[in-house]
Amino acid sequence: MSTRERVLRVVSEVLGRPVASIDDDSSPDNIESWDSLKQMNLVLALEQEFGIRFTDERIVEMLSVRLIVAAVAQLGPQANSDSER
Amino acid sequence: MRLTYSQIQGELNSRDLAALPPLRIAVLRNVVVEPIEPYLRYFAYRMGCNARCEFSDYDNVFQEAVGGHKGILDAQTDCVAVFLKLETLSWDLARNFAGLTVGRIEEEADRIREFVSRVLVGIRQKTNAMILWNSFELPPHPSLGIFDYQQAHGQTATIDQLNRFLGDALSDHRNAYLLNLNACLARVGARSFYDLRYWHLGKAPYSREALEEIGGEMFKYIRPLKGKNRKCLVLDCDNVLWGGIIGEEGLAGIKLGKTYPGSAYHEFQQEILNLHRRGVVLALCSKNNEADVWEVFAQHPDMLLRKEHIATARINWDDKVTNLTRIAEDLNLGLESVVFVDDSQFEADQVRQCLPQVEVVQLPSSRAVEYRDILAAGGWFDAPTLSQEDRHRGTMYKAEEARKELQAQSRDLTSFYASLEMILEIRNVDEFTVSRVAQLTQKTNQFSLTTRRYSDAEIHALSESASADVIHCRLQDRFGESGLTGVCILRYERDRALIDSFLLSCRVLGRGIEDALLVQCMKRARSRGCTVAVGEYRPTAKNEQVKDFYPNHAFRRVAGNPELHYFELDLTSFDGLEPPYFHRIDTQFQYRAKVGSQ
Repeated sequence: MSTRERVLRVVSEVLGRPVASIDDDSSPDNIESWDSLKQMNLVLALEQEFGIRFTDERIVEMLSVRLIVAAVAQLGPQANSDSER
Repeated sequence: MRLTYSQIQGELNSRDLAALPPLRIAVLRNVVVEPIEPYLRYFAYRMGCNARCEFSDYDNVFQEAVGGHKGILDAQTDCVAVFLKLETLSWDLARNFAGLTVGRIEEEADRIREFVSRVLVGIRQKTNAMILWNSFELPPHPSLGIFDYQQAHGQTATIDQLNRFLGDALSDHRNAYLLNLNACLARVGARSFYDLRYWHLGKAPYSREALEEIGGEMFKYIRPLKGKNRKCLVLDCDNVLWGGIIGEEGLAGIKLGKTYPGSAYHEFQQEILNLHRRGVVLALCSKNNEADVWEVFAQHPDMLLRKEHIATARINWDDKVTNLTRIAEDLNLGLESVVFVDDSQFEADQVRQCLPQVEVVQLPSSRAVEYRDILAAGGWFDAPTLSQEDRHRGTMYKAEEARKELQAQSRDLTSFYASLEMILEIRNVDEFTVSRVAQLTQKTNQFSLTTRRYSDAEIHALSESASADVIHCRLQDRFGESGLTGVCILRYERDRALIDSFLLSCRVLGRGIEDALLVQCMKRARSRGCTVAVGEYRPTAKNEQVKDFYPNHAFRRVAGNPELHYFELDLTSFDGLEPPYFHRIDTQFQYRAKVGSQ
């Protein structure tokens, strides 16, 4: 499973919505249930899923699925080594 | 345990939680702790309940407790959790301590005491639910550094005193406890307990690890509240009580002693012994030659456990599922009371699969040094109160074995009863017995006509009511005390006495106590002016044995439905004959006016 797919799965789990309803542009602005608590749950779930830790400065920028995938991918080998290759 | 968010969600989503009895938890807080919810729901599911968590608005502890702002506290609430973090309550005491005068410190402490007291009273006016109040955290780095520890008015001392005040204030109320957050903090460690990013981003101070630990601590209180704490520890022997296999390595070859590597088992046995002294019933379940195992118990110089600590043992080559079932029967306990400890993956899996009610602990035999900690951390047997009955339970089971032997020798049941020389003491509940009576209503499943669960506070309230009697009985016989083991709650409505609850601990079944207790309670109802007694039977999965209790005692079946059967007894023609085989029935009821008379 690619990093993106894994991120989508976690987002869908945390928000309680089907994966199909989520795309790169999904964000707190266009998904009503995605409030600040869900955002926190999401960040912590991603950290557990990928075994990584975001800085607070990174967290405040993770405002859409696209930006989240980028933030996960940037955090090094663990995320990358699991990607599609 | 360390569960990930996904594992918990997955587990919760795959179960039909709606079918489980509800558990309502109200959270009053001045910080963001919503992420504790999945953990609470998970722990609740593990004890067979469907938890619903309701949170007060942020920093609305007072508004909710005193003003009922959101209305999350009511008679249906099971547990109120209070998260009052000092940083939000008093920035000065929490973070600006170095800048405070002694006068200012006192002023702040006074304000907090006043606040806490009013919140506590506010909660109690709205609900009798269990209160779990988190203590204030001691600072890992006090504002005055190590100098703080030398100061009578230092930050650490001040917070300590506030916690002691909190503990005292809570102990003035029934069913209200100070949850030791500093113990949770110590177990997790300050570096992992806090998530500083979210403390700053969203006033959410605690990490997932911390919230899991706190949730676990809360359920050590909630399980006994619902009668779900465990009572019996069943132990494998080889590579559990000692290192190695007795049948192969022999008495001198097994690892057990005060020095490494036997020290891990020595410490583990000490912890087991501590549980025994708290009233946990111990049993052995081992694939072994029985004589080999008892030789270790009798001969090994470093055995802490002795044969007299073991209530029953199944040491043979049968499978453990069969043996565990037999052990539960021997002890007259349900499998949901059992924690089973084994080092074998195979045995653990088999028991998990066939007996899901049993809590299975698989010890890592390559890391015996962790055994003690694993057992101590489980909290399966914890209860916020420890009654006399609890403390002596282990020895009571021994006496029970002696009774069984006597029964085997007796000609018939009546002569067996008579030979026990039973003395039954029947009383109204008082301040010393409220907790035990509440505990019995919470824990008793088999001999229980209605299985209504009551908290300490509810039993206390009933005992003060002019239109109810809470009656208990205590049994003693030639083999010892069985303690407080029977309860009957009568509610009076004009000339009718409703038997709201009637139950006996499984420890004293089969001795005719129910006959004596019922007769005395019916006489009590009659002396309070009642002409009719109404008995109820509420069928559950476990109380089939009492379905004909009332018809067998001259009650007449009246209306009812499949969930609730009603029976009536005409007290005016009731003979009031006591069973003949008691050595003495000693009944003393409180003086109370006749019901209905002014």
